[in-house]
Amino acid sequence: MSRMSRAVNGAKGGAPEGGGLLPNIRSLSLSSPSKHPATDPSSEVCPVCKSGTYLNRNMRFLVNPECYHKMCEGCVDRIFSHGPAPCPIAGCNRTLRKAKFRSPTFEDLKMEREVDIRKEVASVFNKKQADFETLRDFNDYLETVEEVTWNLILDMDVEETRERLRKYREAQKAQNSSTTRRALDHSQASDKRKGATQRKALDVSSGNTPEPFATNREDTGFSFRGLIKRKTPEPPKSFDPFDGWSIQPQYHILQDKYDVGWMTAAGKDANHSAGGYSMPAFYSQVLCDAFSGFGVFVEDEIKARETQASMDAGVGTRNAAMAAQGTKDVNMDDVF
Amino acid sequence: MRLTEDDLYRTSTQYKHWSFTPAQLADQRKTTNISASERVKQNVARKRAAKAFDTPTASDNGSGVDTNGANTPLRTVDREVNCLTVAEEKKLVDTFCERALELGTFLNFPTEVTATGIQFLRRFYLFNSPMTYEPQTISRTAMFFANKVEGAHLTLEKYVASFPKATAEQVLAPEYLIVQGLRFQFQVRHPFHGLKGGHLEMMEMSRGNAEPLPASEKTKEEIQEELFQLPRKPNGPAQDMTVKQLQGRMGNAYALASKILKGPAQLTDAYFLYTPSQIWLAAHLLADEPLTLFYLSTKQALDSPLLQKLLAVIRECAALLSSHHSYTSDQTSPAEKAARDKAEKEEVQKLIKKLKQCRDPDKIDLVKLNQAQKRDAVKSEDGGSGLEESKAKRRKLGREKYEKEADEFFGPELGKKNVAVDVETKGV
Repeated sequence: MSRMSRAVNGAKGGAPEGGGLLPNIRSLSLSSPSKHPATDPSSEVCPVCKSGTYLNRNMRFLVNPECYHKMCEGCVDRIFSHGPAPCPIAGCNRTLRKAKFRSPTFEDLKMEREVDIRKEVASVFNKKQADFETLRDFNDYLETVEEVTWNLILDMDVEETRERLRKYREAQKAQNSSTTRRALDHSQASDKRKGATQRKALDVSSGNTPEPFATNREDTGFSFRGLIKRKTPEPPKSFDPFDGWSIQPQYHILQDKYDVGWMTAAGKDANHSAGGYSMPAFYSQVLCDAFSGFGVFVEDEIKARETQASMDAGVGTRNAAMAAQGTKDVNMDDVF
Repeated sequence: MRLTEDDLYRTSTQYKHWSFTPAQLADQRKTTNISASERVKQNVARKRAAKAFDTPTASDNGSGVDTNGANTPLRTVDREVNCLTVAEEKKLVDTFCERALELGTFLNFPTEVTATGIQFLRRFYLFNSPMTYEPQTISRTAMFFANKVEGAHLTLEKYVASFPKATAEQVLAPEYLIVQGLRFQFQVRHPFHGLKGGHLEMMEMSRGNAEPLPASEKTKEEIQEELFQLPRKPNGPAQDMTVKQLQGRMGNAYALASKILKGPAQLTDAYFLYTPSQIWLAAHLLADEPLTLFYLSTKQALDSPLLQKLLAVIRECAALLSSHHSYTSDQTSPAEKAARDKAEKEEVQKLIKKLKQCRDPDKIDLVKLNQAQKRDAVKSEDGGSGLEESKAKRRKLGREKYEKEADEFFGPELGKKNVAVDVETKGV
């Protein structure tokens, strides 16, 4: 029987009396005697000063998430305003601070505590199904998370579990920061391989139950099977306004400098350069213009164009006939 | 995905839509002339019929003394309209192009602006006839419009002020018409830049700095050496020039070629028939043949088929340029030139007179035609399209009010008050 199934049983059979529960759980419900639960909230009594809501209608009860013992606002002020002090409830020696006291959300303090723990665990284990290769891996992950949660709720191996949680949180943080991502990915890959063999060995030793708590050399607290590797997005390409087109001069070679009297003077003129006029741009334009159409023979090309057009004429006339039949213009979009 | 200079030119509208073979050009002019003269005859006949319908009543009820004197040219009624021929049309257009050139020089327009204006005019009259649209008004607007296209700012007021009798409306009225006639294609590729480029490269060659093309087997030093020995005249004796002399020669060739490009190249059909590169090379060939031929030989081997073909085209173009009467080569004497100018002037006067007889009566008043297309058009007498007078008046009032209010510090009133004003005017 694994711890997990025990925990589930415990949850299901968790009657208020809690006969099968551990003693420290039972101690949770110290504030309101479980034998005769407080049915009337108006007659609540502070376990420390014994003053009740019967006398003071505006009395507020506070708890500290350290031990979840309920006490009234006056007692908190009185005991903890001069710094940390031990919990006044008999048998609980935890040191409490005033700042941590808050009014509970739930009347059932066990519930309050469970919600807090779940919140804490969820902040560390925040993977989604999309992060896993298969559903099976995700389910294994969820089971691990649930086990950790119940360990904390039921106060089993608390020290060890918290330590692993802390390690895992740090490992995640390191992985998310871009500087160490690659190195960690690499080590994780080797961990995974090692983890698999270990898992197999453990499976053999502990019967058929899968053991996801595979400790490893780097000790990230937990390691999970089937995680999809995070890919670093490719750096964006530099923008090309001409979409790959470029001008390849055929008849001239552009030089850096052309030295012709009237133009050199114009190039040195501050009035020109201040306006952003650059001589190299002028050179390239002027030389390109000098040869644009150098080898274009208008007469020949137009004749070629016409023979081409007459070959397409069949298609053209068909289109024209269709256009004539239809009421709408082919080229213009009829807006109305 | 690499483009050569030729590919770049092939993307231009000048190549796609405004380049023709000589046969095409002649055909197009003929078509334009025929359709225009048909329209003129038709419209004149219609006008005369309308007049003939009016005149009998006028002569019936009186002694034939008409108050407005519209009946005086009765004798012309039956005469057939004598339309311009294709050649006469072309002559007219050429004349007005020349005048546009003079106008550009007179108003100190940049070379490009004048040239663009002239090309607009030539393009426009390829598909329209001077009989339909009068060249004088069209050329005025085309020149104004060329200023905008070439990015030379000029206010309408300033431009109009330079004419003794022209109004702003007259200049603006045919503007959209011209733009339509140009098929909304505004870019004109001129050879001026090309000439500058060629000149720059030749100057570098004379200094021995120009990098030869990879296909060429000459080095830059060899090119320079050969340039020094280039004869002055074709087939002349070899020379031995200094760098300074050579550069002076190049400068002269540039100046002459540039003059040809600004004059004859604009006034002939060169832009329709040849590419800008070929036009500047032809002008340069006229200016200094040995130099141009040598320059071409550095681009392509002299016996390559491309260069042979190109040379034929350039010589053809040069012949066209030099055939224009404004091309003053050394041979023409001033007396000869003056006599030619006089004959030319008389011919043109006759043509303009003839044009007055065969104008399309529908298109004489361009200002009115332009207004008819606008929002506030007043209904024309012959029942043309137009808004009702009251509506137009109301709109005009509203607009004037809005304009007045817009000058105020916080701008006009918002919606509500305007509606009230509208109701008021409606009540009136």
